[in-house]
Amino acid sequence: MESDKNNGMSRTAPMLEAVNLTKRYDDGVLALDDLNLSVFPGRAYAMLGANGAGKTTTINLFLNFIDPTEGEARVAGVASHRDPLLIREKVSYVSENVMLYMNFSAVQNLDFFARLSGRSKGFRRDECRDVLRRVGLEDDCHDRKLKTFSKGMRQKCGIAIAVIKGAPAILLDEPTSGLDPKAAFEFMNLLDSLRAEGRAILMSTHDIFRAREIADDIGIVKEGRLVMQRSREELEGEDLEKIYLDYMSGLS
Amino acid sequence: MIGIVVKKELFETVGSKKFHISFAVCSVLILLAFYAGIRNHQNNVERYEASKADNLRKLEGLKEWHEVENYRIFLPPRPLESLVGGVSNDIGRTIVIQRGNELEAEGSRFGDDPVFAVFGFLDLEFIFQIVLTLFAILFAYDSVNGEKERGTLRLTFSNPIPKSSYILGKWTGSFVAVCLPLMIPLLTGCLMPPVLGVGLSGGEWLRLGLVILSGLLLFGAFLAMSIMVSVFTKRSSSSFLVLLVIWIFVILIIPRTAVVLAARAVETPSVDELAAKKSSFARQLMMEDREKVDGYRGSGGSDMEAMMREFQEFMNGIQEERRKKTDEYNARLNEERRNKQIVQEKTAFGLARISPSATFTLAAASLARTSLDQKERFLGEAGRYQETYGRFMLDKTGIASGLRVIRISDGDREEGEAKASIDPGEIPVFDFHEVSTAECVKGSIPDMGLLLIFNLAFFALAYFRFLRYDVR
Ligand SMILES: Nc1ncnc2c1ncn2[C@@H]1O[C@H](COP(=O)(O)OP(=O)(O)O)[C@@H](O)[C@H]1O
Ligand SMILES: [Mg+2]
Repeated sequence: MESDKNNGMSRTAPMLEAVNLTKRYDDGVLALDDLNLSVFPGRAYAMLGANGAGKTTTINLFLNFIDPTEGEARVAGVASHRDPLLIREKVSYVSENVMLYMNFSAVQNLDFFARLSGRSKGFRRDECRDVLRRVGLEDDCHDRKLKTFSKGMRQKCGIAIAVIKGAPAILLDEPTSGLDPKAAFEFMNLLDSLRAEGRAILMSTHDIFRAREIADDIGIVKEGRLVMQRSREELEGEDLEKIYLDYMSGLS
Repeated sequence: MIGIVVKKELFETVGSKKFHISFAVCSVLILLAFYAGIRNHQNNVERYEASKADNLRKLEGLKEWHEVENYRIFLPPRPLESLVGGVSNDIGRTIVIQRGNELEAEGSRFGDDPVFAVFGFLDLEFIFQIVLTLFAILFAYDSVNGEKERGTLRLTFSNPIPKSSYILGKWTGSFVAVCLPLMIPLLTGCLMPPVLGVGLSGGEWLRLGLVILSGLLLFGAFLAMSIMVSVFTKRSSSSFLVLLVIWIFVILIIPRTAVVLAARAVETPSVDELAAKKSSFARQLMMEDREKVDGYRGSGGSDMEAMMREFQEFMNGIQEERRKKTDEYNARLNEERRNKQIVQEKTAFGLARISPSATFTLAAASLARTSLDQKERFLGEAGRYQETYGRFMLDKTGIASGLRVIRISDGDREEGEAKASIDPGEIPVFDFHEVSTAECVKGSIPDMGLLLIFNLAFFALAYFRFLRYDVR
């Protein structure tokens, strides 16, 4: 069943695709060197890498917050630097520290970002509450100001914003860093359900166990280069932590 | 898209504690300015009426017109002056009128109540210039870089919103968010004059409305400038510092420096220098006349009365001539000084207009008729009145000059014999013709236009910089 779905999906076009993606910053740092990866609808891709490996740079390139030096970051087949506004309709983004308007309530934040995402027509405010419940925020905190929220709750709010946008692709930059195990577990369940809806998920993380749990494909990035990429099936029975540490210490 | 940002900006601003506190402070100050202004005006009216009555009372009981001295005219107080002080508190509001004397306004409000001169009045102009500009900076200094620091800018731009829409929305939103609430105390303040019994004419309402509009334009200029600085600087703490420095320059340093520079550029003789020149000229004429008097030979004869009359006529002639010469000389000196002063003022004001706050001051003062022109106008009107007064006195006394003349009693009239007192009511009334409303408004339009240009220029800079802004 699972493999049927994957086979079906892999024949469709990738939702997110990095093609020879290279980024050299103005100060000469080569942050990303010829990266190639694809994320298909209904699949999750985890980028593993140390601090400074180039994970955030990759996500910034997909969002066209920066222009690539070479290559392309494509969303639904469109290079992000060719039509930034179009691709921003198609991706949701959850940052490492979800920072929202602290003086707004959860509902107000959600409402604002939902409208920004282009959903102003036919959008009902009740929908915000439904989505907040779905990500695990109970009714009693819907109207509380964000500044009273814990980091885990803010992160849930962030994913609620990604959910309500309804975009086919989701980019997450270290979404579980700093979350306690329970919050991280709930977060992963949520991602799982989004993937089941057919969204393409690209997530950067240093959390090997979470990555293994959720990802259909795992890539290890080191100093801007993709040094390993394997599917869940290929990793069956392997010790991912050992593989990762070997790559990091340069043994492989 | 713009609407969404505007709405968010509005809610975010109005919902913040910072806003509640500063809005309360501003409201209290605005209302206080209106209240104090109106009370101040009422006091001024009282004082004005009292001085006028006193002026006439001093003449009561005088038997002869030539005994009239120190007749004064007064600059009538107007409600808008108390709201936009301008120079109205510094200029003399009283002029002593005599035939042929040189007119000098005295009795300024600051002279009468020196304690106010120390800090000045809390008027609407002060509120707009000091309080509201700070208010604008406080609200917009981190408008863009603050969102970047807080991380909301990234999330915002992960959505399909064009940068131009965002910055336009920011600008409109912050303007609406702080201006609309301010309209509450401002409009309440406008209700105060009629409620407290000070009626404003249609022209005064229009001018007051335009003063408020210029104030809002100044506010807008500072808001746009703050947004601009927040786009150009990385961190909100540095944009706040930069803005404070700019504020000090714009509000305090530029206008003062402009005056100093203009004084350097255009030299104007001081009042004292002028007075010295005038008195030395007068002394010289007096010497010449004394020689003429020494050389006086009457036509002779034994009729004492006729001889006196002849001498009187001779003296009148000399004095009249001297007066004419002095007047001409003084007028020429004054004119020269005045012309230089005008050039100096123009230079100073022109330079000061780099500062939006100075531009606002000039616009507001011209609308409230409290600009420097008002002083000139009062003197001019007084000069015209002096002629009327002179003709009237000549008619009454037959003496051409203000100098006291020894009058020889007819002898016919006994000491105790009652002579009717003069009627001070016969003295022509001084009627101050003010600059027309249309002219006031016309005079302020260039400055209001300049304020608008400041708004647009600051925003344009912010706009084009933001199009290339790194939202990460
Ligand atoms: N704006 C920038 N200018 C110059 N170098 C940068 C910039 N942002 C990141 N880098 C460098 O690029 C490399 C990759 O950074 P990043 O993508 O943030 O790593 P990660 O998210 O994997 O920790 C690092 O060496 C970092 O120092
Ligand atoms: Mg990172």
